[in-house]
Amino acid sequence: MQHSNRIAFTSKTYEVEDFAAAQELYHSNGWTDGLPVMPPTEGAVAACLEWALMPPDQLIGIEPVREQPITAEKLAINAVMAGCLPIHFPVVATAWQAMLKEEFLLHGVTSSTGGCAILVIINGPVRHEIGANSTFNALANSDRATAVIGRALRLALINLLDVRPGGIDRTTLGHPGKFSYCLAEDEEDTTWEPLSLVRGIPEGLSAVTVMAAMAPRQIMNEWTTDPREILETFAAEMRANQRHYSIYGGNYAIVIPKQLREPIQAAGWTKRDIAEFLYERARVRRGEWADVGKGAVVRDRGETIHTALESPDHLLIVAAGGPAGGFGAVIPPWFGNKTKAVTAAIGACFDCERS
Amino acid sequence: MIIRVLDPTNEKRVAGGQLAVRRATLKGKTIGFISNGKEGTKGYFAQLDQQLREGFGVADVVWRTKSNFSAPADASIIDEIRAWQAVVAGVGD
Repeated sequence: MQHSNRIAFTSKTYEVEDFAAAQELYHSNGWTDGLPVMPPTEGAVAACLEWALMPPDQLIGIEPVREQPITAEKLAINAVMAGCLPIHFPVVATAWQAMLKEEFLLHGVTSSTGGCAILVIINGPVRHEIGANSTFNALANSDRATAVIGRALRLALINLLDVRPGGIDRTTLGHPGKFSYCLAEDEEDTTWEPLSLVRGIPEGLSAVTVMAAMAPRQIMNEWTTDPREILETFAAEMRANQRHYSIYGGNYAIVIPKQLREPIQAAGWTKRDIAEFLYERARVRRGEWADVGKGAVVRDRGETIHTALESPDHLLIVAAGGPAGGFGAVIPPWFGNKTKAVTAAIGACFDCERS
Repeated sequence: MIIRVLDPTNEKRVAGGQLAVRRATLKGKTIGFISNGKEGTKGYFAQLDQQLREGFGVADVVWRTKSNFSAPADASIIDEIRAWQAVVAGVGD
């Protein structure tokens, strides 16, 4: 509680008798994702702000469509509720800054019936500082840091932008990533450049990339070491997504585990080579929609070719996963190019280029 | 032990837009439809167009479609709204 003497919060405070009473307060007000939350005490919230060197009224950004301001104080409260430690908060704040960029289209992403979640990919030294694990269960319950950072984004959406099911969130089904959808890249066990470097962040800086993403589609190929054959399996899954979900091109992410990336790396393929291969291979004729029950929207454009990627630059390649197993993942976009993935350096001035 | 906890919601929420003044009658008015561009809006708006003209004496119905179904209406559409007396928007899938 020593911190609260130095920070003047503007949030309303509530007094509860104990931890259980705090749970009931937050659940009964609709302030949770259904799971228990850490009570956001003044001391815990102040510690987050002090770690990030942010005053409580610092503006993280303004939601572009509904023009709602997001302050550091409110974001920190939600981060604490999610289970974040102070060391996690700069990652949460940077992810939110990225989400508020106009090209991310946060309102559409969070209100659509399409039901995507916000995928967060962490790069750089911060992965070690926060204890993120890029190996076993990389897309799931791999570690504390990625679990709580991903959850913090969702709780803040719920509480700061009213993205509640049936409210702003009009999702038909959604997917489990809406609880938390965060992974860190395994930069040490690959010869490839980190995603953040590929996307323009200087080497050595920590960064987050946010992408409006559907659920991961897992692929398996343990029967070849030929890069083309391995990547053909990824391409097939991307084509399947085009046929069964959305035919339109946008940001796709693929997660390549050690067992699959080692033969690709040994053959001298870079991330750029992979992106160019998948740009060529992941494409379908519009007429294929008729094969999967969508003939009504083919019309006279049956021969039109739709690429899953508008260009090779739109593929986010992430090295991650346990050391054994030929299991990769294709993570499709929410809906074509309506939203763009955004990468931001942690601790950098996000809009400095304009000042 | 009493625990003091903080409100996680956006207490400084910016007020949304206000509803326009309700019309006493639609007779002789121009009504705008702003479609999100999805397939299901076509039949709905076609039926509504007919009902407004035949049942309420609406003079004209202007159809416009957003370029992005998950984003606000384009600026050019917003500009046109000034010439309409009522708008039907927010129709989904």
